[in-house]
Amino acid sequence: MQQFFSMLFLIGLLFLLSILTGLLPFATPPMLIGQAIQQQAVDATGAANLVTSVVLGYRGIDTLGELSILFAASAAGGLVLGKTVRAKKAASENTGFILQAGTDLLFPLLLVAGLYIVLHGHLTPGGGFQGGVLLATAFFLPVLVRPGTSVSHKLLIVIEGLAGASFIAIGLLALYQGGEFLQPFLDKGLTGQLLSAGTLPLLYLAVGLKVGAELAGLLANLSTEQDGENDHVA
Amino acid sequence: MDNLLVLTVALPLLMAFLLPIVYRFSHFIAGLLGPIVLLFLIWLTFCAAYNLPAETTSFSIVIGGFLPPQGIVFYVDRMALLFAFAVPLVTLLMWPWKSNLDSEARPRQLSLLMVLVAASSGLALSGDLFNLYVFYELVAVASYGLVINSQMSASYVAAYRYLLLSAAGSVLALLGIAIIYFQTGTLNLAHLSLMAEKLDAPLGLSAFVMLLMGFGVKAELFPVNSWVPEVYLASSRRVAGLLAGLVSKLAVLIVLKTLLTMFNHTLAYDLLLILGVIGLVIGELSALKATDLPRMLSWSSIGQLGLVFIAFSVPGKTGMMAGIAIMLHHMLVKPALFLMAERWGQQLVDLKGAAKSSPLMAALFVVFALSLMGVPPLPGFWAKFLMLTGLAEVGSSLSMMALLVVLLMMVIEANYLFRVASLLYDRQARQQSSHGFINALTVSSMAAVLLAATVFIKPVSEALDVIATQASDQQAMIKITLGSKTGDQK
Amino acid sequence: MLPEVPAMLLAGAVGLVVIGLGGLVLSRNLYRLLLALAIAEAGANLLLILAGFDSYAVAPIVTDFSTSALPAMVDPVPQAMVLTAIVIGVGVQALALAMIIRIKQAYGTLDMAELKSKMEADLDKSLVMPGAALIKAERESDNG
Repeated sequence: MQQFFSMLFLIGLLFLLSILTGLLPFATPPMLIGQAIQQQAVDATGAANLVTSVVLGYRGIDTLGELSILFAASAAGGLVLGKTVRAKKAASENTGFILQAGTDLLFPLLLVAGLYIVLHGHLTPGGGFQGGVLLATAFFLPVLVRPGTSVSHKLLIVIEGLAGASFIAIGLLALYQGGEFLQPFLDKGLTGQLLSAGTLPLLYLAVGLKVGAELAGLLANLSTEQDGENDHVA
Repeated sequence: MDNLLVLTVALPLLMAFLLPIVYRFSHFIAGLLGPIVLLFLIWLTFCAAYNLPAETTSFSIVIGGFLPPQGIVFYVDRMALLFAFAVPLVTLLMWPWKSNLDSEARPRQLSLLMVLVAASSGLALSGDLFNLYVFYELVAVASYGLVINSQMSASYVAAYRYLLLSAAGSVLALLGIAIIYFQTGTLNLAHLSLMAEKLDAPLGLSAFVMLLMGFGVKAELFPVNSWVPEVYLASSRRVAGLLAGLVSKLAVLIVLKTLLTMFNHTLAYDLLLILGVIGLVIGELSALKATDLPRMLSWSSIGQLGLVFIAFSVPGKTGMMAGIAIMLHHMLVKPALFLMAERWGQQLVDLKGAAKSSPLMAALFVVFALSLMGVPPLPGFWAKFLMLTGLAEVGSSLSMMALLVVLLMMVIEANYLFRVASLLYDRQARQQSSHGFINALTVSSMAAVLLAATVFIKPVSEALDVIATQASDQQAMIKITLGSKTGDQK
Repeated sequence: MLPEVPAMLLAGAVGLVVIGLGGLVLSRNLYRLLLALAIAEAGANLLLILAGFDSYAVAPIVTDFSTSALPAMVDPVPQAMVLTAIVIGVGVQALALAMIIRIKQAYGTLDMAELKSKMEADLDKSLVMPGAALIKAERESDNG
């Protein structure tokens, strides 16, 4: 009976959403702020990537909130999972030569790719979050492939904390210099160069390091369970 | 230095990020950092409120120097300042001084509390729709973590169910924001207010319903409030008090902001009224059936928030004043009651005769209960009276029905609250219990504030009048936000 | 060329949201509920990013610095919004996974209906404490 009502509700929802999307002005959106940003962003921030100028400039405090959400999720995850245990299965699971050698080869490549994406966030698609995930993967793959290696949680916590604090510190520095919080300062340079757009690449660097450290820690936490069982969760 | 108010968001986040590192060096200093930041924020917001010159001055803070509507603004009027002041104050009152968490969990808990403070302050101040969404999600994630109570496995299940419901609501809220952005092309609340005619039914109303369901989860709105009793029971009483007393009010604030700026239609107000009435009825009837104090307080919280929605469904200044009054009153009373429930949190029958061993607390419970019921001259009465007059003024059949329901529910509320009080003062004592000194001090000071509000009811209501008038003044908000020239765009 | 949004994308977005919300309503396994949530979030993100989208426009990145005239570009604001929304979703999903692991360890089952009754039983148990034990418990647990 409940299934029937649920299906009815879903069909109604589908109907409603279809009508709503039919009414929306696709392909002729008002784009009020979008257009204004497209015209002003390069002059205002110096970043070639307009999305970065929105993420770190126009809506910088949203990005700060987003960073904090990841931080809060990681902290809450740590609270949920309890004490971090050192992974007990040392050499019991041999994942094989191919996997281990492949990961060793991938590690520097992932690092380079991650750092490249982080640092070029204001020039090409990418940025702190995407690059940070790559960095986290780079540090987490060895843990997956060689069960028993542990990440240095202490180092990760220090990197995470300092990177996050530096993001806010850059914002507060702008405030201290008489502007507003998170106002970009530093020379804007020539748009399209790596060293341009003022504080924006620095902000993305802080974001990348923080996200990388955070996700690496969270993934490591998730992978070491207390009783060491790998339950099927189907 | 008005733009220092951004520190209400930036400073707690800075502390949250640094706390795990500081904790490794010194547990003691890390434990103090939180309260120090909260004290500073209390002082900051108080000064900002004190320095507002004329009665109707409000200002906007341009974040990042990017002028609205492209950039994000914080719109600071008296209501925003009031809540920005209440956030660190209530958090400080409910701060977990003692904790049996180990050295890994304690800094995480403290960080999450700081994050909660930052996000709540952001909710109070922000004037941008997507910014409100981000801060709302931040409050949500922080609260998921704070609900976890490692001694009770049930808290994991309760937290997971809460997470699912809240995240589903957020999907709906995001859909609503997508519809709004499609139609208007902007996210700034003042700018949206100018474009309100583009948000007519059916698109506008659907967007409002989606936002309502999304943000209503924390505001304990029917039908997305099924998480409340489980979560308040499973988490520690302080966290429950914080969620019920503080966070729910800020969620109501978001609904209010969107209602006022974009969806000023009768349909929207009627929907709020109906959902509020249903919430009130379900809350009070379930509280009547409750057999333990925490559940009773949880259901009563749902009921009171139903009252808040009913109050805000009355358009105009009266409804606004009544809603704010009920919110402030609940923000004072509910955390105090949850603090009492720390010692008295078992089955009600076990509370028999507890008044003998804790006479002060029992007396204070009676005071709070009377105010909750709406007994004059306590502030609870004035708040409810305002709401009832507002409903009567509207005069439609819907509001008259709501009026009757409210009166009926007041009787039921009196019933179960008196039941608890009479149990407390029962002849036979079932157990000896004494509340901690800090708890007693906190609850007594909250009761003192309540009684002070009773005595000084006239100045309080005049202040509320000013706040409500300013909050309903959409034209001023548009002029100040969009006409601002502060900060120069480089 | 007139701007155009492929109908397939729109249908996809709406479909994903409905499938996701449907999964949330109909599933009983905790992990399936999480997956349904992920699908719904993906659908909502897709719908949001379709605002200001145009098949014939380019990504909002300035590549030609010789002129100050910009080609027809996609709206950068929804892109930034969806970036934020995706990250938020990732955070919440990671936390939910951690909770699922812990729940399985604590209760041994992932069925929502079973867990609900077990949770209620545990919550009720936490409230009933014999009188003498109360004083002892008070002295021991002073948790915030």
